[in-house]
Amino acid sequence: MRIAMIGVGAVGTRLARQVVSGDESCEVVLRDEQEARVQAVAESLGAQASIDHQAYDAWVDVDVAVLAGPAGSHAATARTFLARGVSVVSVSDAVDDVRALLALDAEARERQVSVVVGAGFAPGLSCVLAVHAASGFDHVDEIHIAKVGTGGPACARHHHHALSRQAVDWRDGAWLNRPGGSGRELCWFPDPIGGQDCYRAALADALLLVPAFPGVARVTARVGATRRDRLTARLPMLWPTHPEGGPGAVRVEVRGRRGGATDTVVYGAMDRPAVAAGAVGAIAAKLAGEGGLRRSGAAGLAELVEPVPFLAELKHRGVRAAVFQA
Amino acid sequence: MRMLRRALVALGLAGMIAAVLRARGSGGVPPQTGGWRELAGSDFE
Repeated sequence: MRIAMIGVGAVGTRLARQVVSGDESCEVVLRDEQEARVQAVAESLGAQASIDHQAYDAWVDVDVAVLAGPAGSHAATARTFLARGVSVVSVSDAVDDVRALLALDAEARERQVSVVVGAGFAPGLSCVLAVHAASGFDHVDEIHIAKVGTGGPACARHHHHALSRQAVDWRDGAWLNRPGGSGRELCWFPDPIGGQDCYRAALADALLLVPAFPGVARVTARVGATRRDRLTARLPMLWPTHPEGGPGAVRVEVRGRRGGATDTVVYGAMDRPAVAAGAVGAIAAKLAGEGGLRRSGAAGLAELVEPVPFLAELKHRGVRAAVFQA
Repeated sequence: MRMLRRALVALGLAGMIAAVLRARGSGGVPPQTGGWRELAGSDFE
């Protein structure tokens, strides 16, 4: 299987490594505007990697295209591959990218290919955990996502700006925009992350979860932040970003009804966000290439994958999910 | 002088209100029982 890696930042590099590790039949074609970076990544991956020097949105002959480049470029690149009947996996967590990619659903269905949207840490792993948590309910009423931590520099910049932009919540059958940085909630993540104050922000999880859960009343997403993060969110980043953030976590709370009673299930996972996103994206790319997704079209992982085998494969790759037991 | 006194009173009132709101504001209660358990075995059935 030939997989194009469009962008080899922190997530793209981890994803490419996950694709080739343990599978000699897989070949990755790397593309990035930073020549030195893509050269170094190709050398570290060995003979299974080659470099493509074209622009981000240029076509290359592959089975699947994984989009891990700068936010804002994903929809244009996806259209290029879609037009040639190639499935696309995007790891972008930017609201504009997710909206633009979901708008490709009709075209993707018509061409019988898949556009996997938000195949990262959150959205991504959060969507798979939500589907798995929901499997024990007769009806899902509410889904609340919280995440903490960042992957590479691009992820850190997105986190920084997301706190100053409008959050997208789903409430009683309608979208609701609320100010980023509002709605403080103390969320408890798997150890050693523990309790973190989380706030509304421009996060794309709800856009991907609402279509997967018809009749759900509330879907929200929050991100862990400090008071300094909130204070400086409207300013340019004042400090250089780290090459990769530290440990992060995701928490998924699903409330619903089963057997006439209401209940709540809380799932979570702790890992370096870039590592976990790389594993999620690699599994999604392989499923897309092998025709292992549940349907064609543009959607998030909540609609496209079977949660149990997906989580088992993630566990095999070292990304472990947990359940909170009262 | 009166202006200064009013400003100080206003600042004091604002501080008191902020202190009350801060004291009353709840950031949540840590879970008192239970904990995280890794998904395994029957969780994947």
